[in-house]
Amino acid sequence: MALEAFTESQPLTLGVELELQLLDTHDFDLTPRAEDLLRELVGHEGAWDVKPEITRSMIEIGTSIQRAYLPLRDELRDLRRQMSRAARKLNIGISGGGTHAYQHWSAQQIFPTERFRYISELYGYLAKQFTVFGQHVHVGVPSGDDAMWLLHALSRFVPHFIALSASSPFVQGVDTGFHSARLNSVFAFPLSGRAPFLLTWSEFGEFFDKMTSTGVVQSMKDFYWDIRPKPEFGTIELRVCDTPLAVDKAAALACYLQCICRYLREERPFEPAEDDYLVYTFNRFQACRFGLDGEIVDPKTKQRSKLRDDIIRTLARVDEHALDLQALDASNLIRDSVFDGNDATWLRGLRRKTLPMPAVVEAAAERWMS
Amino acid sequence: MTPLAQQLADWFADLLRGPMAGLRGADPVLGLALVVLVGLIVANLLHRHLRLPRLFGYLLIGAVASPAVLDLLSRGDLDPWKPLIDLGVAALVFELGTRLRPRWLLDNPWFTVSCVLEALLAALCVGFALVALGAPGMSACVAGAVAAATSPVMTMAAVLEGRPRGQVAERLMTMSAFNSVLAILAIKLWPVWGQLGATPFSDGSSLLANAGVVIFGSLLLGMAGGWLLDRIGRLDGQAATMPVLQIAMVILMALLAVALGLSPLMVLLAAGMTARGRMGHRLTVEPHLGSAGGALTVLLFVSFGVLSTLGELMQLWPWVLAIIVARLAGKGIAIAVTARPSGLAPRQALALTLTLQPMSSLAVLLVADSFSWRGQLAGADAAVMQALLIATTLMQLTGPLWALWPLQYIARECPDGERNPSDGA
Repeated sequence: MALEAFTESQPLTLGVELELQLLDTHDFDLTPRAEDLLRELVGHEGAWDVKPEITRSMIEIGTSIQRAYLPLRDELRDLRRQMSRAARKLNIGISGGGTHAYQHWSAQQIFPTERFRYISELYGYLAKQFTVFGQHVHVGVPSGDDAMWLLHALSRFVPHFIALSASSPFVQGVDTGFHSARLNSVFAFPLSGRAPFLLTWSEFGEFFDKMTSTGVVQSMKDFYWDIRPKPEFGTIELRVCDTPLAVDKAAALACYLQCICRYLREERPFEPAEDDYLVYTFNRFQACRFGLDGEIVDPKTKQRSKLRDDIIRTLARVDEHALDLQALDASNLIRDSVFDGNDATWLRGLRRKTLPMPAVVEAAAERWMS
Repeated sequence: MTPLAQQLADWFADLLRGPMAGLRGADPVLGLALVVLVGLIVANLLHRHLRLPRLFGYLLIGAVASPAVLDLLSRGDLDPWKPLIDLGVAALVFELGTRLRPRWLLDNPWFTVSCVLEALLAALCVGFALVALGAPGMSACVAGAVAAATSPVMTMAAVLEGRPRGQVAERLMTMSAFNSVLAILAIKLWPVWGQLGATPFSDGSSLLANAGVVIFGSLLLGMAGGWLLDRIGRLDGQAATMPVLQIAMVILMALLAVALGLSPLMVLLAAGMTARGRMGHRLTVEPHLGSAGGALTVLLFVSFGVLSTLGELMQLWPWVLAIIVARLAGKGIAIAVTARPSGLAPRQALALTLTLQPMSSLAVLLVADSFSWRGQLAGADAAVMQALLIATTLMQLTGPLWALWPLQYIARECPDGERNPSDGA
């Protein structure tokens, strides 16, 4: 199967996908109710989309194509309102968060579609362990070459998004010590991590052909990279974020990415290089493990700095672009969260108050639904 | 030789003379204990080889030991076990109360309509069917009201055995609590409308007041019990002692309800709901209130089997059949009509209709003075009551199949593979 042509799209347009947890309102464990909710949401108002995910306790929502923060935030709020109403009708809770605090992977059920069955057969128990919840942000790019350049230029900002969105401190009932434990589940997949350093669409096409000829890959969907091109949409897709606990944060994260992309495209502050990836895994780990308190290494200067400080510096650099993109509210929300702490810190705070785990999950659901 | 040793020796001597005679001559306590043991083994075999619910195995062995079949145990033999059986019922009903979420009824008004409609239509269909077959009107009405109830004990035990997760199981729990409360109201009001026209108005009003006292008193006592559990739980603060606290509270509430002439079922449901509402996730309810409660469930279901009665089935079968079919139709129509607006798929609606079929006399008149509920409906036509009792027996014996198979094979809400080894036991 050849790589499809890259669809041209308007630069810096946005689309947000959120994977959400479906919860039992009694014990707040995951509940396999995706079909019920999908049926209830057939004929919903608005241009957004809702679809199943790999297990029956998950659901994925996607916004329409957006250009600015406020319309994106409003669409996400409307989406949340309609979904929450449907969920309450069916006695289901919905929550953000990158992992469910105490679900057991073996209790999860694969959603009955051909694609998910294939993944389940291929990856075995990893498919059920993939019951983790991420935010994916699509950014429009005009060509495949632009997509590959931007994809690699963004690599040094990946830890920002991991730390800011981190909301998965608990796994299987235990505090992992990580801010984002979700990415450890993703890392178990053989085609995860970073995309190969190829800067043109034709080079990427050759790589894709080689991979398909091995039989390891059938389509672009088989790559679970942190950032991947999405030729059918004409976008690059950032996949490292945990689903935040509130939709406003999700919109703000998307717009922060939009501002960085504009900054990179218009100012070209550096050219991406293969060596950028020397520190990539280390920086990624620091963000997952320590969140905003992590230390990252600059691939060019080799200097260490706090992730929190690097985000503040980046916000200052992209402020002008935020103004032009009408994303100042988003920038301010991101700036506030740098000081207030991420969602993982909030969840840990609840747990420190000796709340039982189900109460922590219930509080997260209340935060998402209200 | 000690009396127990003498008894065992006599029993074994009897056993040698003939197995049945030996069991019949055994001490009732020992006899039921043996039947429970056999029930456990048989239930596990049936579950492993035929995938039948364990609860069905317990009921089956109880029924085989009952006077209707081998006559190994009589109803009177259960008397020494009654406090334990009552506790088994009470534990399950309290647990059901903790699983109810009244807020859902507000969030989904069509579900509320569905709850009311399925109980009313089942009662009306049964009543009309019996009248059409020549039963006295008033007795047919009260039989309809009782038949509207789904066994909350069977529901909870089935949920614990199958561990379903989904809308059908959640609706089943709410509906069985709802229709059982409606049935209790009907039974409590029976003396009022059963004697309308036959007694002076003042007598009618005092009966009505009495029914009101039972209903509101039960709710108040239950709420007080839930509140007390919360307060003591805060004082104690140890999660490990919570099951003990809960069992103590369940016993206290059930005894107080009986002593005050209230409805233990309503008291325990209200206590469970109040405790959940006040304590939230601090209220950790172990399935069956822990493993001791699990043992009580086995005893309870074997006892249900022993209480089976099919006397006069040959004479009353048209009425028995009418009750079962009309009940199924009434519930089915109500669920079908409200399925779509309340958010239920056709397949789920079918599963819910079937899971609502189990009946249980004990569950309605929880911890009554005796195992006979007919005394509570004095004045009702004896034949109608006997037909209702036979229908109840049949729907109780087959109850685990009605409750679990639709959840498992139609709604597909039970987890794949082998169920929890400790379930149902």
